[in-house]
Amino acid sequence: MIRFEGVGKRHPDGTVAVEGLDLEVPTGRITVLVGPSGCGKTTLLRMVNRMVEPTSGRVLLDDTDVAELEPAKLRRGIGYVIQQAGLFPHRKVIDNIATVPYLLGWDRKKARARAAELLELVGLAPETAKRYPFQLSGGQQQRVGVARALAADPPVLLMDEPFSAVDPVVRAGLQEELLRLQSELHKTVLFVTHDIEEAVRLGDQVVVLREHGRIAQLADPHTLLTSPADDGVAAFLGRDRGLRGLGLRPAKAVELRPVDDGLRYGGWELALDDERRPIGWIDRSAGTAELQPSAGYRPDSDTLRAALDAAVLSPAGVAVALDADGRAIGTASREAVLAALTPAGGGPVSVRKPDPADAMGTPAGADTVGTADGADVVGTADGADGGR
Amino acid sequence: MNWLNWLSDFFSDPDHRSGPDSILHRVSEHLTLSGEALLYAALLAVPLGLLIGYTGRGVNVVTALAGAARALPTLGLVTLAVLLAGVGDTAVLFPLVALAAPPLLVAAVEGVRGTDPDVRDAARGIGLTHSQVLLQVCLPSAAPTLLAGFRTATVQVIATATVAAYVGLGGLGRYVIDGLATRQYAVTVGGALLVVLLAVGAQLFFALLARFALPPGVRAQRRAR
Ligand SMILES: Nc1ncnc2c1ncn2[C@@H]1O[C@H](COP(=O)(O)OP(=O)(O)O)[C@@H](O)[C@H]1O
Ligand SMILES: [Mg+2]
Repeated sequence: MIRFEGVGKRHPDGTVAVEGLDLEVPTGRITVLVGPSGCGKTTLLRMVNRMVEPTSGRVLLDDTDVAELEPAKLRRGIGYVIQQAGLFPHRKVIDNIATVPYLLGWDRKKARARAAELLELVGLAPETAKRYPFQLSGGQQQRVGVARALAADPPVLLMDEPFSAVDPVVRAGLQEELLRLQSELHKTVLFVTHDIEEAVRLGDQVVVLREHGRIAQLADPHTLLTSPADDGVAAFLGRDRGLRGLGLRPAKAVELRPVDDGLRYGGWELALDDERRPIGWIDRSAGTAELQPSAGYRPDSDTLRAALDAAVLSPAGVAVALDADGRAIGTASREAVLAALTPAGGGPVSVRKPDPADAMGTPAGADTVGTADGADVVGTADGADGGR
Repeated sequence: MNWLNWLSDFFSDPDHRSGPDSILHRVSEHLTLSGEALLYAALLAVPLGLLIGYTGRGVNVVTALAGAARALPTLGLVTLAVLLAGVGDTAVLFPLVALAAPPLLVAAVEGVRGTDPDVRDAARGIGLTHSQVLLQVCLPSAAPTLLAGFRTATVQVIATATVAAYVGLGGLGRYVIDGLATRQYAVTVGGALLVVLLAVGAQLFFALLARFALPPGVRAQRRAR
């Protein structure tokens, strides 16, 4: 656990970056600091590994004041990822990743073996090892940056806008990857971003900051989106936050009508192939065999937002629930989806844990923990959920 | 052609084939002197430059001093050194070191300062100590610039080491001076040509070094700038 106690930072030029902040960053979870540029996020993050010294208060790492620890030694025990990756240009990828193990005095062979392991863990091809950073794309460089931070298996990970410099598609992939890694590694992550979308997507806990590092709200993403502390936070969250909040809730809550009950919904009939894969909707009243596309979702991995989207897109107003192989396992009407929106007891449930099969960059059949072959993904996901 | 005859005279003279006035011996004297001057200049300027570049303190002083040092007349320095230290290696080494040190100092400072600040920050952040950042991150990053500095310094020193002959020491300057003194212009031209060849050889050597000895990542980085 990281604890900030009355932490402040006043620069010699008189700038107050942070003033009197108290915050707990729980072990094994992702805490996101989010706020406008200049509100003190980076300053706070860098206080943990003593890249910045607070001018008041203290930062505790597992109940030890970090000020009592030798900086270089402290830092070797904390993963650090920055926006521009900051890879060493003269070193091959494999040696970049092995940097901290080398510093810790591991022998070369062991350090490189570990680095190769991490290369795979972050979803990079083995031949990337021999490349130089300039030969990689921005997204790949960030993956190497994450691998380097994880090389010595530190319990704590500090990430300062690590995905801000890559394009949105790559960013989504990297976010997915981070969630997958976290579901395996359970690090204590302090993640800084100015992007509220990223914050609610990644955070178990989101800390919305105002200028001088003052906490505007500290909440889980669902609470944040549904009940912002004040107008300021609501404005920061932006439009459609109710709808976006649905993206944080699992589609599993939607009650399904079994396919065996028949496939007629008003004037529409769902056509399935021999394998029970949907082909489309047939308009009975029109008397033609013309098919309208059917929209589906995955109850085990998708969110309520995806279920609602599928129901809205369907001509019959019915979303088709699919298994991993695309077979229909049930249907959900718009009404059924809406019924699931109304929280009936049981607070917000997180869909943090992404379906392993969805994680980008994971080679099929790679033997990373928890990754299953496509065939039994449903079983695996169910098993994992059952264990929670 | 006159000067071709001079050259053939110069190269066929038995005195220039073997013995203390042989080409091989003079070239080796010349290179030894140049090498020594470069070594002392490097030992002096490179660590100082790396440190100044890393801390960022004293950069303005270095720039000003290096500019001023370029204006120093080498022959004047030799004379001064002879007056102060008497005839000897020191008297010649001193001006040559003074000639080689500024480009090396500037190259070291600029090379280190050219290190990507994000890379330096990341290096500190993952637990490198200051000296490790300097040696493992800034030095490799400065390598191309340093190499360019060495090339400049080497060429200048090789060209200028002829002054050793003024104070009675060896090297290729002997041919130039002795040739003039004895009106054997073939010898003067031959000596001058050898100095030019050595300087060009040094250029070539450093160009090859920059091409093949730098890690690809560093070369690419330099191209990108
Ligand atoms: N070395 C410094 N000297 C003076 N002011 C600084 C320094 N570093 C940061 N600041 C100021 O502190 C405030 C917080 O900075 P920072 O933590 O980098 O913000 P953020 O990461 O949220 O964008 C900003 O107003 C910034 O200008
Ligand atoms: Mg910042």
